[in-house]
Amino acid sequence: MRVETARRWVWISAGVFCVATVALPWVGSGGIDLGKVLRREGPDYEILVQLRVSRTLLALVAGAGLSLAGALFQAMLRESLADPYTLGISAGASLGAVVTIAAGLDTVLGLPGTWVGALVGAFAVLALVLGPILVGRSRRQLSAFTMLLTGIAVNSVCAAGILILSSFAGIVRSFSISRWLIGSVDATSYASLGVLGVVVTVGAGFILWQARGWNLLAVGEQWAVSRGVRVGRLMGTGFVAGSVLVAGAIALTGPIGFVGLIVPHLVRSRISPDSRVLMPCAFFLGGTLLAVCDAIGRVVVPPAEIPAGAVLALIGGPYLVWVIRQREAV
Amino acid sequence: MMKILLTLEGAEFGFGAREVLRSVSFEAGAGEFLAIVGANGAGKSTLLDLISGFRRPSGGSVIVDGRRVEEYGARELSKRVSHLPQAVHADLPFTAEQLVAMGRYPHTDKWFESEEDHRLVRAAMERTQCWEWRERRFGTLSGGERQRVLLAACMAQQAEVLLLDEPSNFLDIDQQLQCFSMLRQEAERGKLCVAVTHDLNLAMRFCTRMVVLADGVVARDMSVAEAARGGEWLELFSGRLRMEAAGDGTAWVSYR
Repeated sequence: MRVETARRWVWISAGVFCVATVALPWVGSGGIDLGKVLRREGPDYEILVQLRVSRTLLALVAGAGLSLAGALFQAMLRESLADPYTLGISAGASLGAVVTIAAGLDTVLGLPGTWVGALVGAFAVLALVLGPILVGRSRRQLSAFTMLLTGIAVNSVCAAGILILSSFAGIVRSFSISRWLIGSVDATSYASLGVLGVVVTVGAGFILWQARGWNLLAVGEQWAVSRGVRVGRLMGTGFVAGSVLVAGAIALTGPIGFVGLIVPHLVRSRISPDSRVLMPCAFFLGGTLLAVCDAIGRVVVPPAEIPAGAVLALIGGPYLVWVIRQREAV
Repeated sequence: MMKILLTLEGAEFGFGAREVLRSVSFEAGAGEFLAIVGANGAGKSTLLDLISGFRRPSGGSVIVDGRRVEEYGARELSKRVSHLPQAVHADLPFTAEQLVAMGRYPHTDKWFESEEDHRLVRAAMERTQCWEWRERRFGTLSGGERQRVLLAACMAQQAEVLLLDEPSNFLDIDQQLQCFSMLRQEAERGKLCVAVTHDLNLAMRFCTRMVVLADGVVARDMSVAEAARGGEWLELFSGRLRMEAAGDGTAWVSYR
């Protein structure tokens, strides 16, 4: 792919992201009068600004972070089925967040409890999955079979932990846990959005800055070292940045799967496998996909809403099966 | 006088309790084409890993262009040493051209390669006769085609020390000859080429020097002319090998 074409794809993806940011808040079960919004008249103004804009922005930022994390783990593990969901990292972050909800820890060290819990959970699972690879640097690749089985085991253990905690949490907290676990993109405060925006921007910036390193690492460690990469340092920083992205997104949205699988896979096969193109495109298009799923969930059975996580799972589950079948066919 | 580019002084390395290299020492300079030969498990690939900085010696030192390898920054070293590993995963999603362009990464801070980088990539791919597959995905190439692409990536890196682990793997006979001939030309242009190989005849025909590893040490370090004069060193490989002279007088390793 020529440089001009690569640049064009990145700009197109960014353009799609911007269009989604502007257009999707207007999508919903009830129409919104632009005139009323401009005059700041209720309820249209409040519905748009307080509800739809914030949830669209949350979907865009969280989806972008999760999609980029998927592309990152796929490069680190040389496995296109690796994503926060299949690796069990989402489940670990969920368990961590649920622990803080069940314990009534609204804040930990001045930070929202679910953020801290999700971060600790994500780190713990990633250390479990990637730890042996980081320590024994000669065997970096996990087979798809090992990875999926590890993910299933981690998901099962975390699900069991969440069930046990829900049983002992009492009615009010148990309801909070159930609501959080649905994996939806609800309206959130602009302060939380701001924090998530900073976390995702910094994490994404760091990951994108190393894009050439991820390309080299995807070929092999000897290859990467001989082309100027300090593999141990790069893997370690990828581990931290990926965990922070996943934990930050999941703390606000609940467990949302598949965005980190579908988008990087499509970009890799349809646009470019080069991380300098793949990663920014996956970032922008991942955010767009989650925001579109959220918008679909708002309009498909009005006035009820289907959580974005459920819409994405309905697309992502069959897509994962299709990807596995395609690989078998090859 | 030959510029010394590589010095090993008592280099040692082991995997846990298993010693692979025990006090390996030799020097090599610009214009030389070294064949590293030895039986399986002799430590040939590990030796290249020490020189490329992928592994650190547990004892002794590896010096590239006057400085110990660990004193270099990773990128600084990669401008001096290029390494073609023995095995690269075949299922890579990159195109041939994207893979070769990775050889230019150490030379630029720009997000994408410059026009000059593209020119060097094309020159390297034309040299190894793989430019026509530039748009093809690496995973769709045959073993020999992949090897030519990887060789081009090493060429595009423009390092003064080329480390090649079995560079003629998967190549047909004509391509093996072209590969070693090209490496010899690189040496004659002032580079140091170090190739691990099991093909003693290719080594004797194209290399300038042979370093035989056995039991973790340098068992023999000789010019190809010396190697051709006496065949006793062949006992280090197999009792069935012997040195013969071809019709034109060229030394030839045959087996019975």
